[in-house]
Parts: sequence; C-alpha cells; structure tokens
Amino acid sequence: MIRRWQSVLLDALLGIYVAVLLYRIAWLRVVLGGEAPPVWSGELVAYGIAGAIMAFLGMRLRCTPGTWLSGAALQGWREVTALHIAFAALVLTIWAGWVITRISPLELFSAQGLQSAGRLFGALLTPEVTILDKALVAMVQTIYIALMATLFGVPPALLLGFLGARNVMRRHPATFAVYAVLRVLINFTRSVEPLIWAVIFSVWVGVGPFAGMLAMTVHTVAALAKLYSEQVESVDPGLVEAVESTGAHPVQVVWFAIVPQVVLPFLAFTIYRWDSNVRMATVIGLVGGGGIGTLLMQYQGLARWHEVGLIVLVIAAVVWLMDYLSARIREALA
Amino acid sequence: MVLVELQQVRKVFPNGVVALDGISLQVQRGEFLAVIGLSGSGKSTLLRCINRLVEPTDGRVLFEGRDVTHIRGRELRQYRSQIGMVFQQFNVIERRTVLENVLVGTLGRVPVWRSLVGSFPRELVEEALQKLEIVGLAEKAFDRVRALSGGQKQRVALARALMQHPRLLLADEPVASLDPATSHSVMRYLEEVNRQLGVTIVCSLHFLSLVRRYASRVVALRTGRIVFEGSPEEITEEWFRHIYGEEAHEVDIR
Repeated sequence: MIRRWQSVLLDALLGIYVAVLLYRIAWLRVVLGGEAPPVWSGELVAYGIAGAIMAFLGMRLRCTPGTWLSGAALQGWREVTALHIAFAALVLTIWAGWVITRISPLELFSAQGLQSAGRLFGALLTPEVTILDKALVAMVQTIYIALMATLFGVPPALLLGFLGARNVMRRHPATFAVYAVLRVLINFTRSVEPLIWAVIFSVWVGVGPFAGMLAMTVHTVAALAKLYSEQVESVDPGLVEAVESTGAHPVQVVWFAIVPQVVLPFLAFTIYRWDSNVRMATVIGLVGGGGIGTLLMQYQGLARWHEVGLIVLVIAAVVWLMDYLSARIREALA
Repeated sequence: MVLVELQQVRKVFPNGVVALDGISLQVQRGEFLAVIGLSGSGKSTLLRCINRLVEPTDGRVLFEGRDVTHIRGRELRQYRSQIGMVFQQFNVIERRTVLENVLVGTLGRVPVWRSLVGSFPRELVEEALQKLEIVGLAEKAFDRVRALSGGQKQRVALARALMQHPRLLLADEPVASLDPATSHSVMRYLEEVNRQLGVTIVCSLHFLSLVRRYASRVVALRTGRIVFEGSPEEITEEWFRHIYGEEAHEVDIR
C-alpha cells in the first residue's frame, strides 16, 4: 500500500514517461524517421506539463494508476480509466522497446543472414584441432587466474563476512557503525560488474592476466563477503547465548559458537565461487584479462571460425566439468 | 541467605513487548527454585536478567549484594562466569567432541589465545573428564556430540555449566524437549548438583508434577508479573487456573 503523496509522485512520473515515449519514440523516431535530435528546453517544459496533468488527474479526479495503487476505493469509470491508462502505458512500453532494440524478424530470417549463420555454425561444428594445445594452455591459465582470484579473495572476505554480520556487530554503537559502512561498501563493490573492474585494472596495471585476476579478486571478496555474512547472520542464536553465558570473550564467542556452524557452508560457497570464477575469467579474458577469453577474441577478430569453434568446445567442456565437480563436492559437504 | 535479589525489574524489548513488569524476587542460597508460567509469561527473560544475557530496562539485579544491573565488558564476563546455564535446546556444539564442549565452560578463565588454539591446561582437561563422570558420560568424552541423544546432550550442557564452578545454575526449561523418562533422569542430575554440590538452582519448568517432585520453592509468572510465590504443595487447583488460565487442566508426567 502506498501513501497519498507517493501516488501523486508516481502519477507525475508516469505522465513524464508516457510523454517522452510519445514524443521521442513515436513522433521523432517512427513518424519523422531518423535519429532524435538533442533534448531542447521547450521539450522539457512539455514533459513537466504532462507530468503535472497526470498528477492533477490523480489528485482531483482520482482516476489514474497511482491512486489505484494507493488502494483508494476507485469505482465505475474511475477504475476503468485508471486501468486503461496503465494498460496503454504497458503497451506503449513494449512497442517502444521493440523499436529501440530494432527487432526485425526480416533480418533474423533473411536468406543472406541464414546463409552466413549456417557458415559460421558449420565452422564452429568442425573445430580446428591443431590448436588444441594452444587452447588448453590458455584454458589452464584461465583456471589458474580463477584459482588465484579465489584464494586471494577468501581471507579478506572471511574478515568482512564476520565484520559485516549484524548479529556479531550490533552490540556496540562503534562496531555497528563499522558494520553499516562495510555493508554499503560490500554492496557497492558487488554491484559493479567484474567486467568494469577488469577495465579499471587494465588501465592500472596494464592489459593482461594480472588485471583480470585483480578484477575477479575484488568481485570475489564482495560476493563471498555477502554470502559469508548472511550465513553468519543465520546461525542458531542459542549456541551464541550458551557460550556467552560462560563469561566468554566476544572473540571466543565467535570461535566457539559461530565458526562451527558456518565452516561447511563457507567451504561450499568458496568452491562454488571458484567454479563461477572460471566462467567469469573466460568473459574477462574477452576484454584482455588473459587466458582463453583473450585467445578467443584474437581468433574471432581474424574471423577464423574453425579455431573459435574449438575454443568454445574447450570452454564448454571445462565449465561443465567444474560445474559437475563443484556440485559433487558441495553435495558431499552438506 | 540471599544469593540473588531482583528489585522491581522491568524489561521492555525494542519491539514494545513488556516481558517483565516489575518483578521483585529473592533467591536463597542453596534452594531449588522453580519458575512456572505459560509460554511468553517472561520465564526465559527472568532467567536471562539474572546472568545478564538480557539487560533490564528498569529496576535492579543484585548478586550477593552487588549491583550487577548495568555492568559490562570484562566485569560482566567475570560475573557471568560464576553462573552456569542450561537451555531447552541444549545449545551444545554438535560438530565438536563432548570434551571440547565441556571445556567451553572454562572460557571465562582461560586466556583467549589458548582457547583459540585449543590448548587447554591439562588440569582443566582432567577436571572436565571428572565433571563428565558426575553426569555419567565419562566413556563418551571423545565422541562427537552430534551422535548423542537429547538427554545426553543436556548432560553435556550440565557438565559444561559445572566447569564454571557455578554459584548459581540457571536452567531454562531444561527438559521441555525430552521424553518423560529422560526428563526425570536430567532432573535427578540437577537435584544431585543442588544437594551434593550445593549449587543454587533457578529452573523454569512446564510440568507441575516435576515442580512438586524436585523444587523446594516456586514462583509463577503471568504476563511478566509474579502471581504466586510459595512451596510446591501450595499450588491448588484454584491457583493452577489462575496461573495457566481458566481453560487449563493439569497433565501429569511420571
């Protein structure tokens, strides 16, 4: 249930959104054709007016999606109008999405397109085996990049896993502040794609496996810290109480009450992380992180599809194997 | 002689629940005090206010005449180490051995680094084995706790509490997850600790038959207040309805 002022804001945003779609997509792109010109000030004013109209409709006539969402008892034509506006916005959105992504069934099924795709798939399915040794060496490099990233990532993630767990840190205002800051930091770091980290680090230390490994280490720390801390937060508080009641020091409480409960899940998370790091290392290689991804990029640039086919096969095999192994190990641990 | 004294203790949790609403109570040295009442009547909170797992919102808690209501840090840990506690869910480390669990009771007096590397002084290990003998688990010392039955786990927890050389033992519904026969066995160990070792016991219980059989005194709580205080024999049918509500009737456990 949303409040009144939130429903008005929602209506205003909806009005602006619909106006933008109608003008920039429907009018400029489709009716007039070609690329839309830069935004000009009169246009902004018009959007503002559109938003104001919708907000006014919502406030006065109470016949918009906003008022409808706020749980106001709409009846008769009001509800019908609100539903129609919502439906129109939805249809407009899907249609605009179609235009923006330039979806074109004609191209998907054109004779020429099908022919080139057929040639490509044909090449991929007849892989060039002579470069197998080269591909395997690159694959091993990728696996090691992932392994090192996981190994370097685990110790800081362990520390952050405990320092970022609410139940460990909430006792004292100072530790709680540390918890809050770490939480924001972890979430921010995690939300930055490893690919972006790879770009950052290739500027920092130069393009190559080292940059790829650093990027994955950063991502591993954030991802594992999140998983670890959630596991710490879900431990049985009874054991914590029991150890506390013996007069134990907080460090002893962590070691005797929390650690025994999280060791196995931590191991499982870590193995899973290594396995997903191998997959990620392949992708990071595409932007110069070294390993098999970089090799793939080189052959792809030369349009040597038979070689690309072999590399794809090697990646698929290794990813499948890692997936299988990590699943079995995690099963055995559970 | 008074061991623990609660003066007008109130506890309001952050979510607004009033768990204890002005409790005044004296625990005499050497007695076996049972605390009864419905679930949610404040029994657990009362016990936790005594060893300060919970900090009272109002009122005072005195232990041997010393005000411990708001102590913290090292002082609080030192205080807690003199009070043993056992729980309904046993709260033992399932993945560790019985002996390791019992040694947890010494954490309050072992240097932190020694406990972290697991090098407990030899005399403490010997003492732990001796406590296991008291609770009849000497031959299980090196088994993992996971493999034990509920009653055995509770005895491990009791041995852990005894390692603290407790002056007071708090038992929070120690037999509520056990079958009747095992319940009596665990209660008898508590009785022995009380009689032989002279440890004062405050124990919350559900079954009046257990209260009558083991306790020397009873307090009954209802919505955070004491509604009855006296000897177990004084709880009549009328009192019973008053404590547990009109719908209740007594169930026996033998």
